[in-house]
Formats: sequence, C-alpha cells, structure tokens
Amino acid sequence: MPTGRSPSHNGVVESQVKPIRVVIVDDNPEFLDSARRLLEHQGIRVVGVASTNADGLRSVQELRPDVTLVDVNLGEESGFDLAEALQDSDDEAPVPVILISTHAEPDLSDMLETSPAIGFLAKSALSADAITATVDRLGESHRQ
Amino acid sequence: MGHRACYADQVTEHGIAQADSGQPGRPGGRVMRLLVRPTPPPLWQGFIAAAALIGLETAVVVVLKHFAPTMAFGTVYLLGVLLVGMAWGVGLASITALVSAVAFDICRSWPDSFGLTQLQNWVVIVVFFVVALLANGLAGLARASAIEAERRRREADLAARQQTALRRVATLVARGVPPSVVFSTVVAELASCLDVRNAALFRYEPDDTALLLAAADEPGLQKMPVGERFSLDGENVAAMVRESGRAARMDSHDHAAGAAAARIRALGLRSAVGAPIVVDSRVWGAAIAGSSRSDAFPPGAEQRVSDFADLIAIGIANVQARAELTTSRARIVAAADDTRRRIERDLHDGAQQRLVSLGLRLRLAEESVPPEQMAVREQISDVVTGLVGVSDELREMSRGIHPAILSKGGLGPALRTLARRSTAPVDLEIAVPRRLPDYVEVAAYYVVAEALTNVAKHAQASQVHLAVKTEGDYLYLSIRDDGIGGADAGNGSGLIGLVDRVEALGGRIGITSHRGDGTSLDVVIPLRRDTLSSGQPSEPVSRET
Repeated sequence: MPTGRSPSHNGVVESQVKPIRVVIVDDNPEFLDSARRLLEHQGIRVVGVASTNADGLRSVQELRPDVTLVDVNLGEESGFDLAEALQDSDDEAPVPVILISTHAEPDLSDMLETSPAIGFLAKSALSADAITATVDRLGESHRQ
Repeated sequence: MGHRACYADQVTEHGIAQADSGQPGRPGGRVMRLLVRPTPPPLWQGFIAAAALIGLETAVVVVLKHFAPTMAFGTVYLLGVLLVGMAWGVGLASITALVSAVAFDICRSWPDSFGLTQLQNWVVIVVFFVVALLANGLAGLARASAIEAERRRREADLAARQQTALRRVATLVARGVPPSVVFSTVVAELASCLDVRNAALFRYEPDDTALLLAAADEPGLQKMPVGERFSLDGENVAAMVRESGRAARMDSHDHAAGAAAARIRALGLRSAVGAPIVVDSRVWGAAIAGSSRSDAFPPGAEQRVSDFADLIAIGIANVQARAELTTSRARIVAAADDTRRRIERDLHDGAQQRLVSLGLRLRLAEESVPPEQMAVREQISDVVTGLVGVSDELREMSRGIHPAILSKGGLGPALRTLARRSTAPVDLEIAVPRRLPDYVEVAAYYVVAEALTNVAKHAQASQVHLAVKTEGDYLYLSIRDDGIGGADAGNGSGLIGLVDRVEALGGRIGITSHRGDGTSLDVVIPLRRDTLSSGQPSEPVSRET
C-alpha cells in the first residue's frame, strides 16, 4: 500500500494521505517531548503520550491509535508486559505495538521473538519513515 | 566413701569392660582384683575364714607330721596369716598369727601335753608371732606397690584412650565436617572417656538459657531432649560453668534448687561435671558429662572434660571463621554486582536517554534547515551520526558492566543472547523454568560469558554445548567444547575469576581440559542463601517442649 510514503523528507505532509496516529509510552519526559516534536514534524500525529503501563493502556483504549510505541524500560515496569496487555485486553483488532529502546535489537531479540509486538526500533533510529515501514511490513504479511 | 573409693570402683568397671572387649589383658589382673579389694569383707567373715584356715592348716600339719619333724611346718600356718592379712588387714592378721602360733605349738608338742609354763612353748609362740607379723608386713608392702602399679597402668590406659578420642575429634574438626557431626562425636567420646554413658553439649543463648545441641544418652534413662532450652536459674553445672567461666561439678543433684536441677533429676541423672567452651574469649557453651550415679566422677574429671571442651571451641571458632569468610565473600560479590547494576541503570536512564533525545532534537533541527543551506544540514547530519556512534559505544560499555537483558528477561533469554553473539556455534539446552535469585543469575551469566570468550580466544572449537538446569536447590551448568583443550585456571584465562565468583556463593566449579580433548566446565550454584551459609553451626531442627 502506498500510504506509507506520505511524509516527505523535508517535513511537508502530502495532504491527500491520512497521517498515522500514534501513542507513545515512555517514562522519560525529555524523550517523549523530543520524539513527539520530531515525529509530528515528519507528518505523524502523536495523539497521546503516557509514562506508565496503566496510563498507556487507558490512552490506547480511549484514543485507538494506528500504532503504539512502547519503551521496553518503563522504570520498574516492563514494556513487554504492556505489549502483552494491549494484545490481550482488546476484543476487537488489537492496536499494533512497536517496542522502542536504547538497547540494541540483538540484545533483546530473544524477548522480542516471544512478544506480540510487530517490531522493534532503536530510539536513536526513530523516524516517521521507520514507523511507517514497520506498519507496512505488517500490512503486507497480513495480505500474504 | 569419698572419691578414692569411687575411683577404684571405676577402675574395676573399666577393667571388666576391657576384658569384655577382648583386649589382651594380663592373666594376673583378675586374681589380683579378687584379692586386692578396696573395701574389706565383713569382719565376721574374717574370723570364720581365720578359724577355717587354722583348722585346715592343723589338719595338714597333723598329716605331714608322720613324714617329717613338726618344726618344719611352721610355714604352713604362715600362709593363713598372710591370706587373712591380705583381705582383712593387720588387726585380724595379728589375732590369726597369735592363734596360729598357739595352734602350731600345741601341734608341735602333740601328743605330749602343752603347758604355758614351759619356756620353750613361749619362745616358739613369740618367734612364730613375730615372724608372721613381719611376713605379713612385707606382703602388705608388696601388695601396696602392686596396687600402685595397677593404678598407674589404669591411668596410662585412660590417658591413652583419651588421647585417641581427642585425636579423633581433632581430626574431624580439622576436616571441617559440619558442626552437628563434631558435636555428636564429641558427646560420645566424652562419655566414654569419663566412663559414664551420658554427655551433653550446651550453647548459651542470649535469653539466659542453655540450648541442648547434642547428647549421648545413658541406656535405661529418658533420652535427653536435643533442642530444648534449659533454664540457668538455680543450682546446675551449666549455670556454674557460665557464671565462673571454669569447669564445675555437682556430685549430686538431690537437693539442688531450680527448674534445671529438677529437670535433670527427672531425666534420671544425679552427678555431672562440665567445662566451658570458650570461643573468642566468650563462654560460648558447655560440655557436660553426667551419670545416673551420685559421685560418679573422680577428681581430675574436670580436666578431662575441659580437654574436650577446648577442642570443641577450636572447631566452633573454625566453623565461625569459615562461615564469616563465606558470607563476606558473598557480600562482596553481591555488593559489586549491585554497583554494576546501578551504574548500568544510571547510564541507561541518564546519559543514554539524554543522548538519544538530543539526537532526535538535532534531527528535527536538521530537517528544519531550509533546503538551500545544504552545508548546515550536512554538518548537523554529521553531528547526529556522531551522537548515534557515542550512544552505541555507551551501550556496549554498559552491557559489559551489566547485561540489561539479565534483569529484564532472566537467565534463559540472557544466555540465548550470549549464544547468538558467540563466534563458535552454541547448541543450547536450557531448563530454567523460573526467575532465580539475582546473584545466581549474574554468576551463571558471567560463567557462560567468560567461558564463551575463552572458547573464542583459545579453544579453536567448532561446536559448543551449553546445558543449564535447576534441580532441587541447585543450578547446574555445563559448558563443553570440542576445541584443543589445555585450559588452566592459573594462566590468566579469566577462569580463576569464575572460580572465585562461584565459590563465593558456596558453589563448586570443575574444569576439565586435557590437551586435544576439548574443555568442559561444570558448575553447581546453590539457589538458597541458607544452603550457602551451611558452614554455620546448625540449629537443631525441632524444639521439644
């Protein structure tokens, strides 16, 4: 599906495409702020942010975003748990989760394999393109 | 009767026990004991015996008279005097000598009449009497030295027996066997060396009681309640030992005051000797030997109990030192692990997060620069790339400090991650169904990480097999490779660090690495802290009331 190409690199959103709506769950306010500003600039709508599992779950259920970004480390809590809670709590089609972390993917791959999350992004590589690509990959694998 | 008599009784008991045990006793020993009785039989028996002997001797002399002159048979009468003197002492011996002299004289002149007016008769009687008494005196001296020699031999036997027992206990102590084993051996040896059947070990508790740690029981008496706390109020040996810090005895508990004395009477015990167990100049406990008899202990029993108590003290000091060493090693390792975990978390939550956030902001800045200012954009892009590089380096560093996946995912995922990063292919077999204590997970992780590093550096292996499982209260870990072998914990391979780490947790590590035959590492780590501190004096499990 071509919708994934919507934001261009100069930050101008092509108006005919509906922007992706995301909720970000991370316990670091500085990161939340930076990520929200960058992603919004790149054409993604950050409809909500949360810093705990409970708040995250509530926001997602209320706002029904297209995708949820969940930090693996949520203080004492684990993003893996939230990913599973989101998967289990929903009667309808669950909101897909992309796990994010400052840890490298190979360090977590064992846990990522068993997680219902649709993908993983290193926080330093966070961008609208990366999110869109991950969501697209999901869409393609669903069609197959 | 006093201690002297008790001691002799005890020697007799000992002698019999020795004969029963089939040791090669001297043949004269038994006869000697029959004749050399510590207490004489009743006096009336003595008179009867003397009369019977004199009668018998007279009969013998009357018979012998037909073959030789009567004068030659004075010695026959001497025999009776010696026997009576041996059994009933010099008093009855004198009377016997006098009567024997008269009988001999009458016999000598028989069938002529015997008259006390004849000077000859007086001379014979006086000479016989004096000779008999002198002979009796000499026999007494010989007997006394025989008794003394026998007593010394008994003492030497006892000393040798005690030395052997002490050596057995000392060997156990030196081997570092669990205190419970030392305790039960000590009570058995202590009782045996004091020729009693009961012995007990007490530890003084902070609540002014004495906890019974081990006991040897006297057959026929109620078993001593191991695990029970005895009150230290009133008169009892445990209280006396604690009060004075010295050995103490009670030859009888019959009129002793206090709950403990009553308890001791109820257990059927009457006399006791105890000595302090002094550890780190504190009276830690007491070793006490007991008996159902009053006055069962000879003088000097205190010293013998003290010898055992001193050995126990050394054993306990050893065990305590070892336990303290083990716990302090474990504490040091745990403290280091905590620090590393904290540094890793601080790096991750602090510097790492800030770097990432700064990177994102810079990317936003980069994208906000007008397209015509390509140079600025490129410069910012360079900085972004640099920041990502710094962030990656920091991540590598913090992984070396503490693997985050271990805290998050547990041992299984952490080991699988290690296996994935290994240069030699690792075939994994992980049966760890639950999260384990932090220090166990960390130790196991470092063992595997170090082993895989060694394989990569030295082993030239084409395959590594890693098996981890929990069973009971232990984690078992085995790493084998098919490389060149020859690894040695001493050659700076990092293996020595693993040995330290595993042993600090009370675990064991075995390294087999023959040249040309691969290397295997077998590790066992206890999962519970109390398994870890098993070197400490074990508390009795049950507390009877």
